[in-house]
Amino acid sequence: MATAPPNRGLGGITGNANALGVTVAALVLMAFVPQLHSGYYENLGRGVLMFATLSLGWNIIGGYTGYASFGNVVFFGLGSYTAAVLWQHWHQQSIALAVVCAMAVGVAFALVLGIPILRLRGHYFGIATLGIALATQEIVSNIDWLGAGSGFTVRPLDAYSNYYYAMWIVCAASMLATYLIARSKLGYAFVAIRENEEAAAVLGVDPTRYKVTAWAISAAMAAAAGAVFAGANGFIDPPTAFALDNNIFPIVMVILGGAGTVAGPLVGALILTAINETLWSHFPQIHTLFFGAVIVVVVVFLPRGILWLFNTRGGWKGIAGSLGAYRV
Amino acid sequence: MSEAFLSIENVAMYFGGLHALDDVSFEVERGSVLGLIGPNGSGKTTLMNVVSGVYKPTYGNVRFNGKRIADVPTYAVCRLGIARTFQVVKPFANLTVLENVAVGAMYGRNGNRRGARASFERARELLEIVGLARVAKRNASDLTIPDRKRLEVAKALALDPEVLLLDEVMAGLNATEVEEALDLLRTVNSRGVTLIVVEHLMKAIVSISTTIVVLAEGKKIAEGAPAEVLASPRVIEAYLGTRYAERQRAQREAQA
Repeated sequence: MATAPPNRGLGGITGNANALGVTVAALVLMAFVPQLHSGYYENLGRGVLMFATLSLGWNIIGGYTGYASFGNVVFFGLGSYTAAVLWQHWHQQSIALAVVCAMAVGVAFALVLGIPILRLRGHYFGIATLGIALATQEIVSNIDWLGAGSGFTVRPLDAYSNYYYAMWIVCAASMLATYLIARSKLGYAFVAIRENEEAAAVLGVDPTRYKVTAWAISAAMAAAAGAVFAGANGFIDPPTAFALDNNIFPIVMVILGGAGTVAGPLVGALILTAINETLWSHFPQIHTLFFGAVIVVVVVFLPRGILWLFNTRGGWKGIAGSLGAYRV
Repeated sequence: MSEAFLSIENVAMYFGGLHALDDVSFEVERGSVLGLIGPNGSGKTTLMNVVSGVYKPTYGNVRFNGKRIADVPTYAVCRLGIARTFQVVKPFANLTVLENVAVGAMYGRNGNRRGARASFERARELLEIVGLARVAKRNASDLTIPDRKRLEVAKALALDPEVLLLDEVMAGLNATEVEEALDLLRTVNSRGVTLIVVEHLMKAIVSISTTIVVLAEGKKIAEGAPAEVLASPRVIEAYLGTRYAERQRAQREAQA
C-alpha cells in the first residue's frame, strides 16, 4: 500500500525541532534570492517553492492523514486555470485575488469529490484520485471557454519577481499552517485516522469529516501554488497545468524529506530539485535514469525520509538496519 | 425499576447465513458491572461491536439513556458516552502513549469543551490512574502487552464514558497482572462508570461482576447473579462442557 511511511521517532507530530529550525532558516534565506540573482536562480528558487507548496499540500492528506492521493495536480491545474481565466476573461491582474479565488475553487472541488471518494480506502482511493486527475485534464481540454487544447496566455502587468515573492508567501503560509494544524486537535484527528481509522472512530473522530477537511486543506495549498505558477509561466495549457511531474514529484519529495512532518516537504523539495538540476546539467540524455535510481535508493534505505536521521533514537542505525535487511 | 439505563432489545446480527447473534435481550443498570461470558464464537465481541456502533444490527435495537443508538455511527456513539476497548488492541503505534490518550480526550464526550492543552492534561491524569505515567513519552508500539491493555483502558476512559465495554482486557496477563487489572476496573467502576466486561477468566469475572449474562451460539442462555448463573446446569453444559459438569458435581459430593 502506498500510504505514507509513519513518522515514528521523528520527534512528535511536528517533527524534530532542530531540523525544523534549520529548514525555516533556509526558507527565510530563500526570500532574498531574486535580489542576488534574478535569472536562473530566481526561476530555480521559485520552482523549489512551488514544489515545496505542492508537497506541503500532499503532506496533509498523504503524510498526516495517510491517504496517498495521486491526483493533487488537479487542484494545482484548477488553480492555474482560475488565475488564467481571471486575467483572460475579466482582466484581473492581482496575484492576491488570483490566489484567493484559486484556493476557493480548489476547496470547492475537493469537498465535492472528497465526500464520495474518501469513503474508499488504500489503493482504491489512490486509483480514484489518479482517474480524477486524468479525467479533469481531458474535460478542461475540451472546454473552449478555458482555451480548450491550445491554452491561454497569462501575463498580468506585475513585475516578474513579484511572482517569486508571491510563491514564497504561499509556501511560507502553507508551512506555518501545517505547523499550527499539526499541533492542534485537527492534526491529531488526521494522524489518528492514518494510524488506525477504526480505532480513531471509536475515540470519537468522525473519519469522513476529517478526511474531507484534510483533502480540502491539501487542495487549497496546491491551488494557491497553481495560481502563482500560471502568472509566472505566462502560459497555461492542459499539459502544463496538469503535468505529470507536478503530480509525482511532490509525493517523492514528501517521502524523501519525511512524511507527516512540517519541515519534510521543503527539505525534500530542496534536495530533489538540487539532485535533478545537477543530473540534468551533467547527464542531459539520461538524467531521468539517475533520478529514478535516486528515488529507489531513498525508498529502500530511508523509507521514513531524511529527517529521520535527526532522530536521536537510532536514525543511522535504521539505515544500517535497512542495509542489513537487503543484505548489502 | 425506572427506565433502563442501557438495554439490548431483541438484537440479531446475521453475517450471510451465520447468525452471530439471535434475539438477544438484557438490561444493564447504571453503575453495575455486567459480565458477558460464553464459549469462543458465541457472539460476545459481535455484541460489543453492535453496542459500540461498529456493526448495525440486522434486527433489534440498543437503547441508551432512552435514546435509540442502533443506527448511530461509531464516533457518535462514543460521544454519547459509550466507550470500548478492543480485544486485539489498536494503539496508534507511531504516537506516544500520552498522545494516544489525548486523542480520546479531544474527541470524546467532553471533547468539544477541551482544547489541545487541556486534553493533554486530562491524558496525564489518566496515565497516573492506569499506571502508565512512567512510559508517557514512549511510542505506543514500544509497550509490553499488559501495558498495551492499560493503554486501551486509558484511551477509553479519556472519552469520559458512562459505559465502558471491555473486550478481554485481561487475556494474556499473569495472575499478578490480572489482580492489578481488577483493581483498576474496580476503581473505574467506583467512579460511577458502568462496566460491561467480556472475559474468559472465570475467577476474574465472578469476582468483579454484579450480573452475568451467558451467550452460547449467539443466544442468551442465562442471566443473573454470578453464583447462581454458574451453578445453572445449562450454563455448565454449554459453556464448560458436560465432563466438567460431572467432575464439579463429584468434587462437591466429595467435599460434603
